[in-house]
Amino acid sequence: MSTPAELTAPTVKENPSFEILYWVGCAASYDRRAQRVARAMVRLLRHAGVNFAILGKEEKCTGDSARRLGDEFLFQELATANIETLNKYHVKRIVAHCPHCVNALLKDYAQFGGHYEVVHHTQLLAELIRAGKLPAVAAADVNSGNAGAGDVTYHDPCYLARVNGIHEAPREVLATAIGGRSLCEMKRNRANTSCCGAGGGRMWMEEDPKQRVSTQRAGEALATGAKTVATGCPFCLTMMSDGVAANGAEARVLDIAELLVERLGLNPPAAPAPSAPATPASS
Amino acid sequence: MTPTRETFGNIPLSSQLAFYALAAASMAVFAWGVYRRWKLWRLGTSINARDLITGSLAAVWQKVRGGAKRVAIDAGAQQRVRGHGLGTVAHVSLYVGFMALFVGTVLLETDNVLSHLWHGLKFHQGAYYVAYEFTLDVLGLLFLLGTLFFLGRRLVKPPALGHRATDWYVLLGFLAIGVTGYLVEALRILWQQPTGLGAHCSPVGLWLAGWLHLGEAEARHSHFLVWWIHSFLVFAFIASIPFTRLFHFIAGPMHIFLAKNVLGVMPPVTMEEVEATGRVGPADIRHFSQQQLLSLDACMECGRCEEVCPAFATAKPLSPKRVVQDLKGAMEKTAAALAAGKESEVPALHEATIAAETLWSCTACNACVNTCPVRVDQLTFILTLRRHLVAEGGLSGTAATALRRMQSNGNPWGLPATERTAWTDALKPKS
Repeated sequence: MSTPAELTAPTVKENPSFEILYWVGCAASYDRRAQRVARAMVRLLRHAGVNFAILGKEEKCTGDSARRLGDEFLFQELATANIETLNKYHVKRIVAHCPHCVNALLKDYAQFGGHYEVVHHTQLLAELIRAGKLPAVAAADVNSGNAGAGDVTYHDPCYLARVNGIHEAPREVLATAIGGRSLCEMKRNRANTSCCGAGGGRMWMEEDPKQRVSTQRAGEALATGAKTVATGCPFCLTMMSDGVAANGAEARVLDIAELLVERLGLNPPAAPAPSAPATPASS
Repeated sequence: MTPTRETFGNIPLSSQLAFYALAAASMAVFAWGVYRRWKLWRLGTSINARDLITGSLAAVWQKVRGGAKRVAIDAGAQQRVRGHGLGTVAHVSLYVGFMALFVGTVLLETDNVLSHLWHGLKFHQGAYYVAYEFTLDVLGLLFLLGTLFFLGRRLVKPPALGHRATDWYVLLGFLAIGVTGYLVEALRILWQQPTGLGAHCSPVGLWLAGWLHLGEAEARHSHFLVWWIHSFLVFAFIASIPFTRLFHFIAGPMHIFLAKNVLGVMPPVTMEEVEATGRVGPADIRHFSQQQLLSLDACMECGRCEEVCPAFATAKPLSPKRVVQDLKGAMEKTAAALAAGKESEVPALHEATIAAETLWSCTACNACVNTCPVRVDQLTFILTLRRHLVAEGGLSGTAATALRRMQSNGNPWGLPATERTAWTDALKPKS
């Protein structure tokens, strides 16, 4: 039988023998919408039997926004503290679902002595699918669960696709998550994607409704005829949701992990998956 | 008879000497022009370019390998010019034609020098000559077609494309060089009267000659005249390079060689640096590196960065191209002020050159950096300029609040660390 600990996310203290650290990020820790992405990720990691842990209250903001807003020393303070924490727990491999966290952990932290293998959650999920740990659903199930959701488009986050060249892994996972349905590509995709408007610290700035980048980009997504806009970044999630609303449309905006959870039927109130692994070394 | 033609055929020795004197003069103007820009780049902080050429041959190759590869691929193979439809086709066409004519001229002069040293070294004849003439004759058409496309685009100009009056001079000059080049060839065919392969290896020249009904004497006379016009145009072109948009021939590859920009990476600042300089981030143009200042001259104002900028697309006061051009203006003004000994007239980068709203409009999406054909890093200019603003207390409102929260709570929401795992509660089964 499952114990509560088996269903949730163990911290590095609860599971010191973790293989991969799940970097949750501030958005998924504090933003109600993004929290759902983190929960979807935990369900998927559990389902695939991944031995992971989170830093919990020891995690701090990576400082991406601070650095790009121009507050270099605040960034360095946060980076130093995080690197110290990551090293204390001997972290080697990190998965993050925020492309800004991925870029900071990978490229910014390397300048300050923090060297880790960092993957975006779509890369890990693609890896798990390829290894058969997250089974692709039979074709017969194609229209179950999410019938009527319509075609899906994918908005490439700048810090994922352009800055770090990660655009095929998300599509691989999407192919499984929407099996049978077609992906409606926007004109600007992959490395040529267009911004959601939240990078460079703009997430924290007010924007004149007439000048919103998110409205324009969501308009491009809707022009594909898609009823679901998938993305792989918590900032994009917020901006595209606002943008869809500003366009007076009703398309769903979801993270790829959420679409996959939906497809695999891992959403609550479903019982924990029978293949859920034993809790790794929790005491 | 072996197909060939006499170098400087029909050109008297006095004209040949005048030709070389003019060549030297135009190259001197060119060198002086480059030197003027080079002095501007020297205003920036050192990039230790000398280090690149010190050490053993293997060590030097190790250091310059990456840059050489970038120049070969980005500029040589025109990789970064891709993706702009007809504009790309026209640029590649003009480039291929131009390079062929340039290399062809160098080969011709090499042959000329060698054959003066010893007649047996002359190689501009026979099969080589036929291939040479044919290649240049055909590729010259690409040069003209590219020029015509860009002339047309000056008339129907995309909004993002920059424009200077000298652009007309450059393009009309190219057109005149191409047309007079073919005319010289046609007139030469008329007086030389080559036969067989020697004539047919220049199909365009031969075709043009067919339209000119001139006797040999008239052809010789016209040839001499048009040859001089063509030479003058070429020398004017060489001398113009550093003073017109043509300067991208020099600054573009130079910058591509030095710019190993990796997207998503920012230059760090150390406390020691701040203590030594008494400032955070650039406040005047001298605080940028020599490589960054060179990039200002590499910019062609092609406008690709502006076309992909989401801030520009939503009518915010930011165009990456404008930022680069404004900084270039500041570089020139700074040099002028310093030359006049007026340190007080050195323009400030903030407000006087670039407004704070411009800097805050950027989403750091990297689209501009990714698209620039000469690898200008507009984003690093913008983000490091922000550093100075922030250090001077120039950020207020919600973004400043987010920074304060990150400082005090370790997250921009300003919520306590103890609540970081609150999201996991919903994962636990209800009991």
